Amino acid sequence: MYVSPVREPLINGEKSYKDITDDVIAPIHSKPGKFWYLGIGISSTVMLFGFAMIAYSIWFGIGTWGVNRTIGWGWSITNFVWWVGIGHAGTFISAILLLFRQKWRTSINRAAEAMTIIAVMCAGLFPLIHMGRLPLGFFIFPYPNTRELWVNFNSPLLWDVFAISTYLLVSLLFWYMGLLPDLGTIRDRMKTVWKKKAYNFLSFGWKGSARHWHRHESMSLILAGLAAPLVLSVHTIVSFDFATSVIPGWHTTIFPPYFVSGAVFSGFAMVLTLMIVTRKALNLEKYITVGHIESMNKVIIATGSVVGIAYITELFMAWYSGVEYERYAFVNRALGPYAWAYWIMMTCNVISPQLLWIKKLRRSVGFTFVLSIFINIGMWFERFVIVVTSLSRDYLPSSWTMYKPTWVEVAIFLGTFGLFFTLFFLFIRVFPVIAIAEVKSIARSSAKKFIGKSVRNDQPEKH
Amino acid sequence: MGAIVYGYFTDELDLLHGIKELQEKGISIEDVRTPFPVHGLDSVLKLRRSHLPKVAFLAGIVGLTIGMGFQIWVFTKGWPLNFGGKPYMSIPSFIPVAFELTVLFAAYTMGISFLVRSKLGPGQIPDILDEKVTDDHFQIILSEEKNKMNNEELSAALAATGALDVKLLKGEQ
Amino acid sequence: MIEKKVIPEAVPFKFSQKLKNILYIAAVVGLLALVWGIFVDKAPSARIWANVWLNSLIFLFIGLGSLFFWAVNTLGESGWQTSFQRVLEAMGQTIPFAAILLLMALPGMKDLFEWTHTDHLDEILQSKTAYLNIPFWLIRFAVYFAGWWFFANRLRKISIKNDLEPTENFLKRIRSTAGWFMVFFAVTSSMSAWDWLMSIDAHWFSTLYGWYTFSSMFVLALAVIILITIAFKKYNILPHIRDEHLHDLGKYLFGFSIFWAYLWISQYLLIWYSNIPEETHYFVERTENFNELFYLNVLINFLVPFLALMTRGAKRQPLYLAVIACVLIAGHWLDIYLAIMPGVVGHEEAKIGVLEIGLPFFYFAAFLWIFFISFGKAKATPENHPYFKESFDYENI
Repeated sequence: MYVSPVREPLINGEKSYKDITDDVIAPIHSKPGKFWYLGIGISSTVMLFGFAMIAYSIWFGIGTWGVNRTIGWGWSITNFVWWVGIGHAGTFISAILLLFRQKWRTSINRAAEAMTIIAVMCAGLFPLIHMGRLPLGFFIFPYPNTRELWVNFNSPLLWDVFAISTYLLVSLLFWYMGLLPDLGTIRDRMKTVWKKKAYNFLSFGWKGSARHWHRHESMSLILAGLAAPLVLSVHTIVSFDFATSVIPGWHTTIFPPYFVSGAVFSGFAMVLTLMIVTRKALNLEKYITVGHIESMNKVIIATGSVVGIAYITELFMAWYSGVEYERYAFVNRALGPYAWAYWIMMTCNVISPQLLWIKKLRRSVGFTFVLSIFINIGMWFERFVIVVTSLSRDYLPSSWTMYKPTWVEVAIFLGTFGLFFTLFFLFIRVFPVIAIAEVKSIARSSAKKFIGKSVRNDQPEKH
Repeated sequence: MGAIVYGYFTDELDLLHGIKELQEKGISIEDVRTPFPVHGLDSVLKLRRSHLPKVAFLAGIVGLTIGMGFQIWVFTKGWPLNFGGKPYMSIPSFIPVAFELTVLFAAYTMGISFLVRSKLGPGQIPDILDEKVTDDHFQIILSEEKNKMNNEELSAALAATGALDVKLLKGEQ
Repeated sequence: MIEKKVIPEAVPFKFSQKLKNILYIAAVVGLLALVWGIFVDKAPSARIWANVWLNSLIFLFIGLGSLFFWAVNTLGESGWQTSFQRVLEAMGQTIPFAAILLLMALPGMKDLFEWTHTDHLDEILQSKTAYLNIPFWLIRFAVYFAGWWFFANRLRKISIKNDLEPTENFLKRIRSTAGWFMVFFAVTSSMSAWDWLMSIDAHWFSTLYGWYTFSSMFVLALAVIILITIAFKKYNILPHIRDEHLHDLGKYLFGFSIFWAYLWISQYLLIWYSNIPEETHYFVERTENFNELFYLNVLINFLVPFLALMTRGAKRQPLYLAVIACVLIAGHWLDIYLAIMPGVVGHEEAKIGVLEIGLPFFYFAAFLWIFFISFGKAKATPENHPYFKESFDYENI
């Protein structure tokens, strides 16, 4: 495989295969620093506080929340959709970018997939709590019972159960299968016997045989092929929760692809937020280069602009439809009592990413970091606008009302951040943050020292 | 298990070269161990395309059939319930769940088949000859049983390709 | 490993007399079908105009879709497409002719668009007149084409200039132009779909419609790109096109057929599920009066490519791939047929007769004619493209 010399290298510095192994494994070998202890200390405290608030709301009931009869879905569903959205980047990177042969994915896919899995777990908490009687949560699955009743397969909420569970399971499989070789690498670098045994257990006895690699590659490709439509389906089905209804602002056909695009948009923003810190903290700047950040920023402009076009399309169609309820719903969004949320969303999601058209900003690590946080905020407000603003003004003016979260809801939301970061902190200590084998496999074509040279010596020079 | 001879390279191009040289001498290769999937190795070793895609396809069909069949059964025979005046058997609303089950079945069946076929799994103890094959060594393993040569000849042939640190491991019995 | 096949010398492309004769015949067949439709079949004017409109749109979609394909690959910094990039460029050159063909259907505007009957608009249509009125519609028409033509031309110029005098900032220039094109295309592809297709059923609306039409356009363009690439490979005009290129193009065709199906079901399912009469009437008309075609559409455009192109071997087999591409061209013709006919012609008079089957030949002949002329004007391959060498030395895993 020949790589043009005008392309930017994906691995900077003169890195040998051994260097790659050592650099990536370093955090697993070394003793954690004080920042790590501080980080995990804070996040696990916040997590425990959040869990306490979950217990509180289960004990006292959903009445402790600010939701009411008109606005039955408040922060809880907003957070759910937001977290699920964030959980789209990992599988997008490893599946869709694999299909598109984007080699830069190899440096970020592992961490992004881990983030995906954690984010989906955070997301899954919300509907479970929101259902009320948590111990009866298994009712959502179709299981044989004495009443011979089944779940309602016509309901988008049930589709969601299947979509989110499948997504979690398949992402886990994809992530773990990719991890096997790297866990084998860690095993062979460990000195302590019990650690060696533990990593061998985790690596399923990986030994790097050519036959295994051959099968592994073919499996990864098919898994990517399966995961690609799966990523699309998950947020599509989340969007069905809204769009199959008749609520103006919820029912619109553009929702499925627009939700998917928004999910990838917010997911990439979160990957950037995390990776910009991680690459610095773990000294991985040679692997997660400014070029990687630029590529991710390009995905952000693309998906952000798609989201922007979807907003404008919705707005225009509301007018074009000639349906007065549709028209009112959008006037209300932009000028009604929740207009501030709408304008935060518009500013953060549509306007701010457009700055990335400027190459300098696209390649600025600091700017990207700040922007990624803005996008995360904007995408949260997008879900808030969809859920709360639309519900607060429905067809029946006598039921119009406002919604305000209580501190319980806020604390639960913060708690999921605690959970998210706690698990992420654990992840970077136990598992390699970068897919070691995959980075090695692109080194020959895209590392700085090889770029512009053909990989094979037997290839025809001229055609 | 008979005796085996093994040695390693530090560059994948040398490995491919070495394999070709050995094959030209009519030596069959027992195994090759590499830290990452080396481009072109499968065709040099003449590994056949894996059947895993077919497994995934069949499992996907099973998942689809179960998904669709079960939902249709529930809504026509099991407990037909009227939701929003829709027909009992409303195919469009069965598509999402059926799709998810298709993917779930295909992915997991393939993943498990991969592990079973490769004899990988929790608790497996691999026969690692050189711990650096997961780092930067590209190892060739030759088995005496499958070749007509004896140990010394095999070792010499392997060393002649430029393989480093050629060693012999006597069989257990 | 790379196939060590001897690559034959490239044959310089010549728009030969034989080729011209074939295209003449095809064009004449198309025109005869039109004459047949008017005089023998005595088709109502709506049916004639609807067919002209349908085929002109397909003519446009093929060119515009390939321009999009080229721009998106340029922006994505991909290298594999450079070896057949000139095909994409030349296909983009057909865009201004699409404007002429569409303008030729304008005398039938009264037949095509209900909202042009300004004298008896109902309440809903009256509320839309700020957007749906003839002058504004024409202005938008002009803006779309001006923009598309500008970008198609400019990208082509930058690309060809690089053949003669390669410059350092070639990639930068072509990328920034492609970027601006994408912005323009993103807005106009949706808007033009509303103007030219969705407003046929002027009461109906669907926010997804623009993207749905785009997916159809893209698959159409891909199918034609595949056909032309295979033909050029066969006649050694682009002898270096390998199975890998076909494999990739096949993957695009496969993937975007699924994408099309995804948008199709999304739109259908949401409208079916919510069951709001303002929206369902569009599908009710189609499922009740165009029943067979409605389901055939999904069958051809989703199930056929999904099953036929799933395996690796299928995508690498030129003849087989070409057959599937032809099926998909017919399939997406049908998709747009279903978008136009129920609204313009109505189920009593709409049919698929000599007119419908014959007329596309004229448009395809015209398309290929313009394509061949513009392809012949430049080198067959952009040899100075920095990624040109990459385009030969790559493999699908």
